[in-house]
Amino acid sequence: MILEALIAFSFLSALVVLLAPDAWAGRLAFGLSVVPFAGSLYLWSAFEAGGNALTDGGTIAFKSRYEWLEVGGRSVSWFVGLDGISLPLVVLTTFLVPLAIVSAWTPIDERQSQFYGLMLFMEANLLGVFTALDFFLWFVFWEAVLVPMYFLIGVWGGPRRKYAAIKFFVYTNAASLLMFIGFMSLVLALGDSVSSFGLPEITQAIADGGLGEWFGIAPETVAMGAFLAMFAGFAVKVPIVPVHTWLPDAHVEAPTPVSVLLAGVLLKMGTYALLRYNFTMLPDQASALAVPIGIIAVVSVIYGAMLALAQKDLKRIVAYSSVSSMGYVILGLIVFTEYGVGGATFQMVAHGLVSGLMFMAVGVVYNATHTRMVGDMAGMADRMPVTVGILVAGAFGYMGLPLMAGFAGEFFVFVGSFGAEALPYAPLFTALAMFGIVIVAGYLLSAMQKTLFGPFRLETDYEVGRAPVHDVAPLAVLLAAIIVLGVAPDLFFEMIRDAALPVVEGVSVDG
Amino acid sequence: MVNAFAYVPAVVLLPFFSFLIALGAGRYLPKGGAFGGITATAGSLLLSLWVAAAVAGGGEYNETIYTWAGGEQFELTFGLLIDPLSALMLVIVSLVAVLVHVFSLGYMNDEGETGLPRYYAGLGLFTASMLGFVVADNLLMAFMFFELVGLCSYLLIGFHFREPGPPSAAKKAFLVTRFGDYFFLVGVVAVFATFGTAAFAGEGSFPALAAAALPPDGSVDVWTPGGLDVGTWFTVIGLLVLGGVIGKSAQFPLHTWLPDAMEGPTPVSALIHAATMVAAGVYLVARMYGFYTLSPTALAVIAFIGGFTALFAATMGVVKDELKQVLAYSTISQYGYMMLALGAGGYVAAVFHLTTHAFFKALLFLGAGSVIIAMHHNEDMWDMGGLKSRMPVTYYTFLAGSLALAGIFPFAGFWSKDEILYEALVHAPGEPLLFGGYLMGLLAVPVTAFYTFRMVFLTFHGEPRTETARDPEPVRWNVKGPLTVLGSLAVVTGLINMVPVKTVFELKGIDYLHRWLNNEWGGIEGLSSHHYADIGPYSSQPIVGGEVGTVLAGAAVSLGLALAGLGLAWQLYGGASPAEHTAKLGGIKDVLYNNYYLDELQVWLAYRTEDVAGVADVFDQGIIDGVVNGVSSVSLAGGGRIRLIQTGLVSQYAGMITLGLIALLVILSVGGGWFL
Amino acid sequence: MVPPQWYLFLAAAVFCIGLFGILTRRDALYFLMSVELMMNAANINFVAFAFYYGDLTGQVFALFVIALAAAEVAIGIGIILVLYRNFGEIDVTVPTEMRW
Repeated sequence: MILEALIAFSFLSALVVLLAPDAWAGRLAFGLSVVPFAGSLYLWSAFEAGGNALTDGGTIAFKSRYEWLEVGGRSVSWFVGLDGISLPLVVLTTFLVPLAIVSAWTPIDERQSQFYGLMLFMEANLLGVFTALDFFLWFVFWEAVLVPMYFLIGVWGGPRRKYAAIKFFVYTNAASLLMFIGFMSLVLALGDSVSSFGLPEITQAIADGGLGEWFGIAPETVAMGAFLAMFAGFAVKVPIVPVHTWLPDAHVEAPTPVSVLLAGVLLKMGTYALLRYNFTMLPDQASALAVPIGIIAVVSVIYGAMLALAQKDLKRIVAYSSVSSMGYVILGLIVFTEYGVGGATFQMVAHGLVSGLMFMAVGVVYNATHTRMVGDMAGMADRMPVTVGILVAGAFGYMGLPLMAGFAGEFFVFVGSFGAEALPYAPLFTALAMFGIVIVAGYLLSAMQKTLFGPFRLETDYEVGRAPVHDVAPLAVLLAAIIVLGVAPDLFFEMIRDAALPVVEGVSVDG
Repeated sequence: MVNAFAYVPAVVLLPFFSFLIALGAGRYLPKGGAFGGITATAGSLLLSLWVAAAVAGGGEYNETIYTWAGGEQFELTFGLLIDPLSALMLVIVSLVAVLVHVFSLGYMNDEGETGLPRYYAGLGLFTASMLGFVVADNLLMAFMFFELVGLCSYLLIGFHFREPGPPSAAKKAFLVTRFGDYFFLVGVVAVFATFGTAAFAGEGSFPALAAAALPPDGSVDVWTPGGLDVGTWFTVIGLLVLGGVIGKSAQFPLHTWLPDAMEGPTPVSALIHAATMVAAGVYLVARMYGFYTLSPTALAVIAFIGGFTALFAATMGVVKDELKQVLAYSTISQYGYMMLALGAGGYVAAVFHLTTHAFFKALLFLGAGSVIIAMHHNEDMWDMGGLKSRMPVTYYTFLAGSLALAGIFPFAGFWSKDEILYEALVHAPGEPLLFGGYLMGLLAVPVTAFYTFRMVFLTFHGEPRTETARDPEPVRWNVKGPLTVLGSLAVVTGLINMVPVKTVFELKGIDYLHRWLNNEWGGIEGLSSHHYADIGPYSSQPIVGGEVGTVLAGAAVSLGLALAGLGLAWQLYGGASPAEHTAKLGGIKDVLYNNYYLDELQVWLAYRTEDVAGVADVFDQGIIDGVVNGVSSVSLAGGGRIRLIQTGLVSQYAGMITLGLIALLVILSVGGGWFL
Repeated sequence: MVPPQWYLFLAAAVFCIGLFGILTRRDALYFLMSVELMMNAANINFVAFAFYYGDLTGQVFALFVIALAAAEVAIGIGIILVLYRNFGEIDVTVPTEMRW
C-alpha cells in the first residue's frame, strides 16, 4: 500500500499546488515534495533485497496487485513493486524533485502554481514508471510523463521553447509507438502462455520458451524484431547517438529546474526501460547484437564528448556530456557481467545526481549573469565564491573524480566490461570508451577556466553578487549526496548487484 | 606496547581534518587555519615516526579496512599496507608537509595573501591524499588517491585564480596528468580482469599471481585478452600503468605541465616536487616493483624513458632565466634518474634518490621562496645577484641543496645519484636500451651541475643588479627554520646508505637503507629488495677491476663530470657582473628556451582536437539533426500542400463525400463481384 | 403489399434530391432543408426494412433520427442566425476563414 500512497500523495499534492496562490506555491510544493522523499527513505530502510523483480525466483518488495480490466483475454492490473534496480531510482526521483523545486524559486517568476503543480505531477508519473510492473500501467505513466514536460519546456522555456518542446514531444512519442509495437508483437507471439500483462509473467514465459509463431513468423524472428523495435524506441529516450538531437535543444530551452529533472531522471527512464525490457526479457537477442550495440555505446561516449567540446553554451556542454555518460550505461548493460549491469544501474543514479548538480549550478550562475555563453563572462569565482566552489566540485565529479559517485559508476562499468565474455573485443571497446574521461576533463576544465577564473568580466549594468542561500543550499545537498555515494557506493550497489545478477545469469554466452 | 599500526588511518585523517577545518572555519581562525594544518601534519609526522619505529621493531601491517564495493567477481576494497617502503615514504611526506606549512606562514600570511583558508585547506587535502596513496594496499585505492592528488594540484596551482596564468597552468597540469591517468585506469581495470585482485602484497596479490602465472612456473591460470601470451600481456599492463607514472612524475613526453605549474605559490611547488604529486609516480613503480621486474621489456622502457628525461630536461634548465623554472626542469630531470634506477633494477637506489631528492628539492624550493620574498616576487635571476651576504641563512642552506642536486661529494645527492649510475652501469651489458639510458644519465650529470651553479652564481654571487637585490626584504624565523632543518638533511641524508664506502672499505652494515628495504628489521614477504633481485631479469657484471674498481671508477667519473659542470658555471657566471652567454648557443638556444617546442606541439594537438570537435558539431547539427528536422519539414510541407483541398466551401466537401461514396461503392461492387 | 424495392427507389430519389440541393445551393437555409430530406430518405429505409423484417428496431431508430433532426434544426438555425449577424447574409461560400 505504501507505493500507492506515495504515488497518490504526489498526484494530490500536484492538485493542491495547482490551486494554491502563486505567492507561496513554491514553498508549498517544496513542503509537500519532502513527504515522498521521506517515504522513499522509509522504503529504503525497510527494503530487503531479493533478486530481480522480473526473473524467476525474485521477490518483489512492497508488492501490490489488483485486477483492473481485461484486454484480449489478458488481464491488466494495477501492479506495483520494487526491487534492487528500481528502488535507487525511486529514491533518486524523490530526492531530486524537492531540490529542483527549491532551485526554481529564483528563476520562475510567473505562473508559479502551475509550474510547481506540473513538477509534482511529473514526479508522480515518474514514480509510477519506476514502480509499475504491469505493462499497461507502466505505459500509461511512461506516456503521462511527457505531458507535464512538454508544458514545462513550452511555457517557461527560453526563446526557442516551442521548437524544443514540440521536438521533444514528437520525437519521444514516435519512439514510444515503435516500442509499443515491438512489445505487443512479443506479447501476441506468446499466445496462450501468459494470461496477463504483468512484466514478471511475460519475462518468465519468454525465458521458458513460450514464444510461438505469430502470423507465420518464426519465434526467433519475432523476438529479434521486438528487440530492435524496443531498442530503437528506448534509444531515443536515453538518448543514444544518432537519435540524441532533441536533448540539447530541450536542455537549452528548459528552465533550470526542468533541466535538472530531465537530465537527472527522465533520461534514466530510457536506460531503466532498456534494462527491464531489452536486456532482462531478451538477453539472448541482446547478446547476439553485442558488437553493434557495443559500437553504438562507444560512439555515444566519444562522439557525445567531442560534441560537448565544440559547444559554447554551458548547458549545451552538460547536455552533450549526458549523451556521453549514457554511453557508459549502454556499455555496462551489454557486457552482461555483475559489475557491468550493476555499474550501469549505479551510473544511472550517479549521473542523475552529478548532472543535476551541474545543471543547477549553471542555473545559479545564469540567474546572476543572464548568459550561459562561455565567451560572455569570466572570473565568476570572484563574485560567487561558494557557488563556483560547488560548481568546480561538481565538474570534477562529472570528470569521474574518485570518492565521488560518478567515478564509482564509471569504474564499475569499466571493470565489469574489460574482461567480459558476452562482448567480443571487450577490452578494445572498454579502452576506447574510457578515453571519454580524458575528453570530459578537457571540455569541462577549459569551460571552467574561461568562465569562472581569470579577471572578472561581464557586461552588465548591475552588480553581480552572491547567490541567495536557497539557491546554493540545494547545490550543497546534492554535492554531499554525491560524495556520500562515492565513498560508500555499497549503499545502493549492494541491492543493485542483487537484482542485476539474475539478469547476468539469464544470458547464455557461447565461448 | 600500543600497536602503532592502529593509528595509521589517523596519519591520513589528521591532514584531512585540517582540510575540513580550514575550509569550514578557516576564516574565523587566526592565520587562516595555518595552525590547524601545522598541528595536523606534525601529528602525522609523529605517528609516521612511530609507525616507522614499529616497522623497525619487526612489525608489518597489511589489512583490508573497508569494503568499497563488494561483489562476486571481485571485491573493491581499501586497505593499509605498511612495510619499510611505505613507512619511509610516510615520514618523508609528513616531514616535508610540516615544513611547507610552517614556511607558508612566512610566504603566504606575512605577504598578506587573501584566500588563506582555501590555501590551507588545499595543503591539508593534498597531504592527506598523498598519505592515503602511500599507505594504499591495492592498485585501485592507489589510483583513487593518485587522482585526488591531481585534483589538489589543480586547486593549488590555480590558487591565484583572479590572474589569467594560474588557472591555465592548473588546467594543463590536470589535463596532461589525466591523459596519463587514462592509461593507468585502463591498467587498473586490466589488472582486475586478469587477476581478479589488485592487492600489492600477500599470497593472493597480483604480483605474486603474475609470478606464478609466468612460465616456467605456470601454476596459475590468468585471463588474457584474445589468448595473448601471458608475458606479453603483463608487459602491456605494466606499460599502461606506466602511463600514469609518466604523467604524474612528469616524464617525457608528459612533462610539459610541470614547468607551468610554477604559477602556483612556491611552498606548493615545494610540496608538489619534493614529496607529493611528482613523487607519487615513482613511488607507484616502486610499490608494484614485484610486477615490473617480471617484464624485462617494461623495465628497459622505464630505464630508457628515465635516462632520456634526465638529459632532456637538464638541457632545458640551462637557458632559463627564472629561478623556479630552473628548479622545475631539475625536478623533471631528477625524477628521470629515479626512473632510470627503477628500470635498471636499482630498486634501493631509486628509493634512496627519492628520499634525498625530497629533502634537497624541498630545500631548494623553499630557498627559492625565501629569495622571492626578498625580491618582492620577482623571479628573474638577472635581477638578483649578491644576495649571499644579505641573506646568509638562505644562501648557505640553498648552497647545500645545490651541492646535493649537483651530486658533489659528500652531499646527499652524490650518494644516491652515484648509486643509480652504478646500478645502471653494472646491469647495462647486453641491454641496449638500458645502456642508452645510462649514457644519457651520465651526460646529464655535468649539465645538472652547470645549471645548478649557474643559478647559484646568478642569484647569490656577484654584484646586486637591481635596487631590490641591494636591499632585499628580510625573512623571519618561519622561513629560516624549515630551511635550516632541510639544509642539515641535505648534508647528512647520504649517510643512510653509503654503499661505496661499504664496498671499498668493507664496512659491513652501514648501508642502512639497503638493509631497511631488504626487510632486515621487518617487512612483508615478497616486498623486499632481494626478492625483486631474485625475480628480476638482470645479473650484475663489474665492468672494470672487480666490484671495488667499478664502484670507484663510476664514482670518480660522475664526480669529475659534476665538478666539470660546476667549473664551467664558475667560469661563465662566477664573476662580479656576469654576462648572458646563452646567445653563443645560437639557434639551439631558441629550441631550448622554447622547450623543444613540445608545448606548442601539445597546444597544436589540443586545437586540432577542437577542430575535429567543430567538424563533429557541424555534422551533428547539419546531418543528424538535419535529418530529424528534415522529417518534420517534409511532413509540414506535405501537409501544406494537402490542406489546399480544404477550401472552406461546404458544397465542395459534400461533393467530395459523394464522390468518395461512389468510389467506395464501385470498388466494393467490383471487388464483391456484382458485375460479374 | 408494396414490394420493398419501391420504398428503396423512393428513398433513393429523396436522397438524391437532398444531395442535389447541397451540391448546388449556396443558401444556408436550403442546405438545412436538403439535409433534412437526406435524413428522411434514411428514415424511409429504416421503416421499410423494419416492416419487411417484422422487427421494430428500425422504427425505433427512425424515431431517434427524427428527434435528432429536430435538435439539428435548432442548432442549424442558430448557426444560420449567427452567420447572418456576422456576414449580413447566409451564403455558405462566404465564411471560409476557419478552413486552416
